[in-house]
Formats: sequence, C-alpha cells, structure tokens
Amino acid sequence: MRAFLLVWTALWISGCAAAPTAPVIRLADLRPLSAKATGEVLPLRVSVAAVISPKGTAEGYQPLLDYLAAKLDRPVELVQRRTYAETNDLVEQGFVDLAFVCTSAYVAGHEKFGMELLAAPQVSGISVYYSVLIVPASSTAASMADLRGKVFAFTDPMSYTGRVYPTYLVQQLGSTPDQFFVRTFYTYNHDDAVRAVAQGLADGAAVDSLVLDFALARDPALAKQVHVIHRSSAFGIPPVVVNPNTRPQLKATLQSLLLNMADDPMGKQALQALGFERFVPTDDSAYNSVRELVKAVGPLSP
Amino acid sequence: MKERQLSPTHPWFSRFWAVAGAVSIRTKILGIVLGLVLVLGITVTVQVRSVLTRTMDMQLEEQGISVARDLAARATDLILINNLYALHQLLRDTQANNGNVRYAFVVSPQGQVLAHTFGDGFPAGLLDANTVTSDAHHHSITLNTDEGQVWDTAVPIFEGRAGIARIGLSEAGLRRTVDGITGQLLLTTVLVSAIGITAATLLTWVLTRPVLDLVRATQAVGRRDFTARVPRWANDEIGELADAFNSMTAALAKADLERAEREQLRAQYVSGVIAAQEDERKRIARELHDSTSQSLSSLLLGLRAMSDACEQADIRHRADELRMVAADTLEEVHTLALQLRPSMLDDLGLPAALERHVADCQRLHPLHIDLAIKGLNDQRLPPTVETALYRIVQEALTNVMRHAQAQTASIFIERHSHAVRAIIEDDGHGFDLAQVSSNDGHLGLYGIRERAELLGGRLTIESEPGHGTSLFIEIPLSSKEENHA
Repeated sequence: MRAFLLVWTALWISGCAAAPTAPVIRLADLRPLSAKATGEVLPLRVSVAAVISPKGTAEGYQPLLDYLAAKLDRPVELVQRRTYAETNDLVEQGFVDLAFVCTSAYVAGHEKFGMELLAAPQVSGISVYYSVLIVPASSTAASMADLRGKVFAFTDPMSYTGRVYPTYLVQQLGSTPDQFFVRTFYTYNHDDAVRAVAQGLADGAAVDSLVLDFALARDPALAKQVHVIHRSSAFGIPPVVVNPNTRPQLKATLQSLLLNMADDPMGKQALQALGFERFVPTDDSAYNSVRELVKAVGPLSP
Repeated sequence: MKERQLSPTHPWFSRFWAVAGAVSIRTKILGIVLGLVLVLGITVTVQVRSVLTRTMDMQLEEQGISVARDLAARATDLILINNLYALHQLLRDTQANNGNVRYAFVVSPQGQVLAHTFGDGFPAGLLDANTVTSDAHHHSITLNTDEGQVWDTAVPIFEGRAGIARIGLSEAGLRRTVDGITGQLLLTTVLVSAIGITAATLLTWVLTRPVLDLVRATQAVGRRDFTARVPRWANDEIGELADAFNSMTAALAKADLERAEREQLRAQYVSGVIAAQEDERKRIARELHDSTSQSLSSLLLGLRAMSDACEQADIRHRADELRMVAADTLEEVHTLALQLRPSMLDDLGLPAALERHVADCQRLHPLHIDLAIKGLNDQRLPPTVETALYRIVQEALTNVMRHAQAQTASIFIERHSHAVRAIIEDDGHGFDLAQVSSNDGHLGLYGIRERAELLGGRLTIESEPGHGTSLFIEIPLSSKEENHA
C-alpha cells in the first residue's frame, strides 16, 4: 500500500516537472527596431560581381579583404549583388570604393559612366581569359552546332564569357539563342552554370575559364562530370575598377596595395586564395577585342 | 511483531475497515472496480502525458534545429547579395510551411535584425535572449513568453559571417496535442468507469441476489418458518451454500417437528399427571369426607351415647376424652380433605375457594393478604383454568409464607376478553433472578410456570433482593372455554 503510494506520487511529480524560471518575453508587444549606431570609422566598401556564388565569393575574397583592411587600418566590407548590372550600379553611384567586375560589365560601365580600370589579375603570366563551352561528360556534342535544340545555361545577362560569347557562336551558326536552343536559363554565376551542366540540368554552358579552372581545382570530382568542347580566343581578363570620381589619393593607395600584393606575405596568400599570381596595371585597349565582339553581337535583352 | 503489517489489528486497517466494512457489498464492489479503473486510468494518463510531453519536446527541439539550419543554408546567398526582400520571403515561407514556427528572424554579424516575421516592430528582449557562437552547430533554449514556452534555436549562417538565423517554435500546438490526448484518455477512463459500474452492478446483482435470498430465508427460519427454501442460482460456492442452507432448514424442520411432538407428548403426560393427581386428590378428599368423616361422626355419636348411658364416672370421663380425640381427628380430616381438594372450588368456583384458602392461610400465618378478583362473578372459568389458578395461588402463597418473610402479600386476578391475568406480589426480601434457575430447588416456581404453560399461558417473574417479588401470570382463554358456564 505504501509502496504503491510512493510510486503513484513519483509518477505524479514526474508528470508535472517544474519549468525553469526566466524573464517573460512578450511576443505580441512589438517595439520599433533601434538601428545600432554604425562605427565611427567608415568601412572601405568592396564589391565583387557574382562571377561565382555569393558564398564562394565571400570565402574566396575574404583574405584579400583582410589584406586591404590590415594595410588601410580600416574595416572592409564586402558588398555583393545578384547581377553584374547591379554591381555596376553600385560603382556608378559611388556606393562602393572598389569593384571586381566582369569584362563586358567593364566595357558597358566604361561606356556609360567612365568606369576606371585600376588593375587586372595575372594568371600564368598573362592577363587574359577565355570563354569555354562545356557539356556533361556523357554528352556526345563536339561543338556549339551539336547543341541545337538543347537546353543552355547562361550565367549572367551581362556576362561576357557566359552570354555574349555563346550568343556570338550561335549567331555565327546563323541563328539566335531563342531559336537555337529549346530553352535557356540564367544561373547568375559561373559556379552554378558548371554545376547545372555537371548535374545534367543544362546540356551546355559557356563559362569563365578562370572560374572553371578554379572550380575543377577545388573539386576534382567535377572534372569527371563536365567536358570542354570549345575554347574562345583570349580576351581581357575581368578587371578591378573604381568610380571615375574616386579621390585620386585613395585610388593611388588602392592601386599600390593591389600591385604590391605579391610582395607581401599576407597579400600572397590572398592572391593564392583567388588563384591569381599578382595584380598588374592594365589599359583600356586590352578590352578592344571584347568591344568589337559585343558590338558584333548587338544589344542583348537585359 | 505484527505492527509492521496491515494486520486486522492495525489502527489504519481498523479505521479503514470502520468505513469500508460498513457499506453494502454493492458499494464495496463498485468501489473496488471504480477505484481500480480510476487508478489505472489516471496513472496511464499521467504517464502517457509525461512521456508524450518529453518526446514531443525533443521532437520540437529537433524540428527547431533542422528548420533553423535549413533557413541558415538558404539565407546565406540572400544575405551576401543583400537581397532582403527574398530573405524576408524566405522567413515568411519558413513560417508558413512549418506549423509550429512562431517567429523567424536573421541577425547580421553586427547584431542588427536584417529580416523578421513580426511585421511592424520587434519584441523587446527577444534579440538578446539567445545567441550562438560561429563555430557551434546550434544553440537552443526555452523562452518563457506571454504565449507560453517557445523553443528558440540560433544557428550561425555561413559560419557566422552572414550572421545568425533564429527560429522560435511555439509549444502551444504541442500542448494542444498533449491536452487532446490527455482528454481522450480521461474520456476513455470515464467510459471504462461507466462500463465498470455496469459490470459491477451486474456482478453485485449476481452475487447479492442469492445472498439476499439467504438472508430472507434465514430471517424466516428465525421466525420458526422452516418452509423457506433458497433457489440454487449458480453451480458455485454460493450455490453450495444454498444447498447447505436448504438441507439445514430441512433438518431444522424435522427436528422442530420432533421437538413439537415430544413437547406435545410431554404436555399430555404432565397434564395427565396433573389431572390424575387432581382426580386422586378429589377421590381421597371425597373418601375422607364421605367415609372417614362419617365413621368418625358415628364414633362421636357412639361415644356421646356411651358417656350419657354410663354411670361410672371414670368410664364416662374416658369416653369424653376419646370423644374429644375423635372430634379433633374429624377436624383434621376435614382440613386435610379441604387441602387436598376444596370442594368449594368445584361447587362455588374460584373466588370462593381462594377467599377460603386466604382466610385459612391468615389463620395459620401472620401475613396480611389482600385478595382482589375482577370479572369472575358472572361467569366461571374453565375447570382446568380454575384449578390451575387455584394451585398457582396456593403454591405462590406457600412460597411467600415459607421463604419471603413478607409482611403483606396481594393477589389480583382479572378476567379479560381473551385471557385471565393474575398478579401475586409480596414485600419480602426477594431474590436475584439471574441466580435462580428452574431446577435450583425452586420447584414451586417451576410448577407455577409448568401449569401456566400447559394452558398456553406464561409466567413473568420480577424480583430483586430487598425489593419483594412479583409474579405475572397470563392464561389465554379460547372462545370455547370463554363461554364455559
């Protein structure tokens, strides 16, 4: 009888275990969010066009941002946007101090508001890159002509290697992408375009050779899933740009920091993280061939 | 030694049994059934509720972690490219697609809320209520809110570089589920209790019906009605009890019959003895009166004649002496005849005979006796009743004179419509009734009772040491005897 009572009491108590006490939060009592005071030091804002995924960009460019922050003794903030056009707008409006843009985005920005070149990365001793046409490893396609009636992945509407150049190839075959492909879609960065082909979502895509090489180096398994069937002639590499109205002193400082990166241990590490050897000075004329091809292709829908 | 257990002498048990033992079997069975069902039902309910709450709490925490991590993974790019609209949509979708999500929000690495699901404004204190380090998988805490407990899970986004995702899972839905199940269990308990009551009622009916039959039959037997029989309802212990009871009743009936026969025989014998005694007394009395008295009278007459005729003085003197002896003897024979059977009882009735007897007693003994007789002037009682009452009074007075040492005695006899009652009282030293049995030398009282009971009457004795004695005798009169002239 007593044992039973004990068991009963124990069961009862275990059923109503006391909750720990803590201050009560009123979920229905809404207050305006107080904007926290920003730091007194204005950060250096750096934008990177979405050549690769935002996460990949944030990871890849973090050492470079750290390098700049250390050298400038100033916080550096990475600003990313979905499209190249949005990144160009940031540069045009002076919202960012420094930007890594795509080749065709530079050509467009230079024409529109005088986007200024600051430096260009150098890979394997030269500052050029290519547009490479990739298909799934299982595909039998050997050229753009074999992709007729297939699904094609563009990267960004403004991307030179990812849209302008493949459009050029299709035009050379006497067609337009709308007629040539059964369907096209945008991945908004080159990483995803490579993955879309690797996973068979697209039958082909044209991507930045630097991005492909970097992606294959990071993920060797990817090399077995995609297959390069065409490589373009060399084009001016995507540059580092500033707004034309940037203070000359800042511009000079930034340029100097970029050009001297390879001589700094921290800078060297940052360059390695991006797959670059160094930054070198560049000239607008390096992008003339691109201008010609863009002109030849004609205006594209945004 | 026994105190440690709930033996029948344990005070707990005694107290319990004082209550539980006093109720009917129906209540006992109902109590046991209801008690078991309720104890089982409530125990199961409490246990299930406890286990369910624990399990669902764990599931809620896991759900919070998975939802928050999913949100963090999907929010990364949106935060990095500053797509706050899409981030806001993502939070709203997360809330819409996960029923228990009370809120979701994203905190920037600088500690600012980038997007949230609260609409206008943000609850005070919520932002700082939980956080997580950038290398942790997640951090969950329970928040006390005005809407109940909320599982708050914080997950770092992009290793904290894109901030923190926070998810609040309300326990309200969980509580509702637990309460619903608890309610169903309690309802089941109530339903089972109802079934239990029905079953217990049926069981009680099955069990108590034969018992109640037995009780009724036992009461009938108690009233000396041996015809009562109990039906055998079932082939079980109670059925065997019924059989045993029936055979016992049959045996009792037989024994009662035999006892009645023996009693009748004994009564016949006793009344025969008494009648024979009375007859014998009557015969001896008559013999004494008719024969002996006549002889003595003749002897007296002869002696007187001899005395008158004899000249010799000494012979005449002797004759006179003999005549006086003969006269005394005649007187004694008269008294003896009267005591044996007063002819007045037969000739003049009970009142006259009693008056004569009382007068005789007062003449021989210093006792004052009051005699009062009502209702016997017009009609005489049946001879058996008259004889019995006469002998009873005679015996009672003999007792009073021999043992009571009383100053006064009173005799009151009254005739009623269906019975005649006699009360005989004295103011003597009385006796203790408890110490007196019929065989204990009080043959007088035994004889009184015997005479009364032979006529279907009864004797009641009231006596206490120092307070005198009262005898109450009642003898019924049948209608036939009542009209006896």
